[in-house]
Amino acid sequence: MLEAVHLTKRYASLPAVQDLSLSLRPGQVLGCLGPNGSGKSTTVKMLTGLLQPTRGVVQFDGHNIQEDLAAYRKLLGYVPEEPHLYPYLSGWEYLELIGTLRGMERTDLGKKIDSLLELFSLHPSRHATIGSYSKGMRQRILLIAAIMDDPEIFIFDEPLSGLDVTSALIFKNLVQALGQQGKLVFYCSHVLEVVEKICSDVLILRKGVVIAQDSVENIGHILGQSLENTFLHLVDDVDTMTVARDIVSVMKTKAA
Amino acid sequence: MIAEALDAVCNKWEVRRQRPFWRMVYLFAARVFRGGGDSDAEGLDLGIGLVLTLLAMPGGFVSILLLNKYGTFLQWLRGATNVDPLLVALPDEYFFIVLSMTVTGAVAVWRWDAIFPDRRDYMNLVPLPISTRTIFFANLVAVLFLVALVAFDVNAASCILFPAVVGATQSKFLFFVEFAVVHAIGVLLASVFAFFAVFSIIGLLMAVLPPRAFRRFSAYFRGVVVVCLVALLCTSFAVPQLLRRAPSPRWIALIPSCWFLGLCQALRGRAGPVLTELSRLALPGLATVALVALCTYVIGYRRHFVRIAEIADGSASARTWRTWRFGLLLDRLALRTPFHKAGFRFVGKTLLRSEAHRLVLTAVGGLALVLASQALMDAFDGGKSLRQAALTPDALSIPFILSFLIIVGLRVVFEIPAELRSNWIFQLMIDPDGQECTGLARRMILILVLPWLFVIAFPVYVYLEGWLIACLHTLLVVTWALLLTNIVLIRFRKIPFTCTLPLFKQHSFVTLLSGCFGFLIYAVSTLEFESSALAEPLRLLSLAPFALVLWYIPHYLGKSSTELERRLIFEESPTQTIEALRLGD
Repeated sequence: MLEAVHLTKRYASLPAVQDLSLSLRPGQVLGCLGPNGSGKSTTVKMLTGLLQPTRGVVQFDGHNIQEDLAAYRKLLGYVPEEPHLYPYLSGWEYLELIGTLRGMERTDLGKKIDSLLELFSLHPSRHATIGSYSKGMRQRILLIAAIMDDPEIFIFDEPLSGLDVTSALIFKNLVQALGQQGKLVFYCSHVLEVVEKICSDVLILRKGVVIAQDSVENIGHILGQSLENTFLHLVDDVDTMTVARDIVSVMKTKAA
Repeated sequence: MIAEALDAVCNKWEVRRQRPFWRMVYLFAARVFRGGGDSDAEGLDLGIGLVLTLLAMPGGFVSILLLNKYGTFLQWLRGATNVDPLLVALPDEYFFIVLSMTVTGAVAVWRWDAIFPDRRDYMNLVPLPISTRTIFFANLVAVLFLVALVAFDVNAASCILFPAVVGATQSKFLFFVEFAVVHAIGVLLASVFAFFAVFSIIGLLMAVLPPRAFRRFSAYFRGVVVVCLVALLCTSFAVPQLLRRAPSPRWIALIPSCWFLGLCQALRGRAGPVLTELSRLALPGLATVALVALCTYVIGYRRHFVRIAEIADGSASARTWRTWRFGLLLDRLALRTPFHKAGFRFVGKTLLRSEAHRLVLTAVGGLALVLASQALMDAFDGGKSLRQAALTPDALSIPFILSFLIIVGLRVVFEIPAELRSNWIFQLMIDPDGQECTGLARRMILILVLPWLFVIAFPVYVYLEGWLIACLHTLLVVTWALLLTNIVLIRFRKIPFTCTLPLFKQHSFVTLLSGCFGFLIYAVSTLEFESSALAEPLRLLSLAPFALVLWYIPHYLGKSSTELERRLIFEESPTQTIEALRLGD
């Protein structure tokens, strides 16, 4: 089980995340929702061990992950928000780099990379440099890199950005399948419909604080509304229709 | 009245500056200093102020160093009381011309990709209501502005300081003014020539090669240009002497820097027949290069920029059976851990494909080749036979010169970051306490250097001097390379290319001076000794204690450092004298 216990992260003196606690059981797909600046990415970085919390701990099976980060990361598959990859490497070479760093057997590695590239429709462009890939192709490379070593924990930060419809559908089914396989999945997104569809539980963040955490059904039942309306109710005090009308009126304004 | 007129001019300029054309000119000019190309490389993008300062420094420094040569008191101490400053200044003038050409040419090579509008410009500008012709002219104006700025900046210091230094012995101010004006004309025109020459090469390649082939071979052509620039710089030692000889060799007319030296001397009325002949080539040469640059730029623009949407981006790098087998062999012999295997491939591919790294390494390689060629020529000086020349310190020093510069060059290149934002994968996956980075860097350097070092040193000496001499010489070369590699990797604790640029520290100058001193010991003094010791091979044993000390120092320093000092880093941070504990957080 992956647990975050009273996590707090401050940048200088500004709090990005405050007293966040969560637990993730095998088979659970936990969606994390929140507007921009709510602390989602900071939470993800602390869960992956890329950032050390100012206070609190992240534990896996009862052990602080900082005690043996290398062992923890061997069990972790992570897809970051931005697809920063080495543009001068080809897709195949990048995946080979990741597989080798993960200590995967070389004989299996090549076959696995080829199979996954085929399944993600990247095989024809496997020897082209990543610099020439579209955002969706880069995202697919990141997804393959995260899953290729069959890790126990998956942390996805906006994994669908840039993916085409087919790839997005495949990915959504994949996440559900991972949950059924007993993997731990932490899924950060802005897309409420996706979270509603594929996650078993949901965590809502606002200004670095958890404001709701429950199963998707229960959260909806709290207010008797859809997840989208519940989210808007909990997070934003903005009347979206009014803002849209204001934008149109500003567009039409002409300088005197 | 004057203030009002100035205000009006300023306002007019401000209005004009905001027009789309001038905004684009500004955009293209700024991009040259702030990075271009399609990738979001962060490695060598420096601020405009720092770039201009760095470009101006060589001319200024060299001028100041020449004070020693032209100072009246020092001349008097040397017994030189009747010196003709114009005659004495000829080699130095040539050096400044070559320096200005090299630095300006290097800027053009460095910013090769940013000079022409690229895919990013296409995507941002073409959808706007601006014609491609306007984009073309805006970029052309930006390039011309850039030529003027770089030529002025590179030569500004030398145009004032060098004439001041040369004219220090002269009582007439007019001498200084005349000398300065002629010098300025010579070096500025040489700078402009170098820039347009590189520009012509890019344009010619764009006009001749298909887009994909241009992208693929562009880096290799850049490498060739860098080697040519280094070779040009090195002509400053030989060419002035050749020009004084009568008759001078005819091929000297093929070196453009000589044309501009001839022009300077002709303007001063001091040119002999050879220099007068050369001076006649300067202006036509410049005009030709500028014309070729303009024509090829127009063709290149039409072929590449206007059709950029039709051209597929990126290049394919098919995997070959040979590279695969070579990788497996290396895995078995030298790369044991997964980190070493992955790291070696990553470092190798970055060196081969990242332009900034390849350029710096090519420049170092070019310098190494030029110095090695110089040593080879010196070895044959005095009409020595092949066998006699082989045992001279000059010939023996060739593998040492090459290995020193390549090892130190690789060490420097490892510090230059590549796609820094992509290093998250290493931060995520590598154990920071694993302490495998030095091992990786050492393997990388040795695998890149030792095989060809062996090829240079061993077979030639087996053929010329027999097995014993060949074995001893190769052993010394390999041992020295190993020791140098250990020394340059003292306290190295980063994965190459994944850490921010090193900070300037107080001991950076000391490190630089130590490097120069190290070169003297490594590639000069040792060879003087080796040359004499090869006659009595047992004498070479006296180098053993020295080698042991050199092996022990890095070993001791590595052992005496703390865990924290050995921890893998991804960011260079300044050493803090006082650290806040933030106990309240």
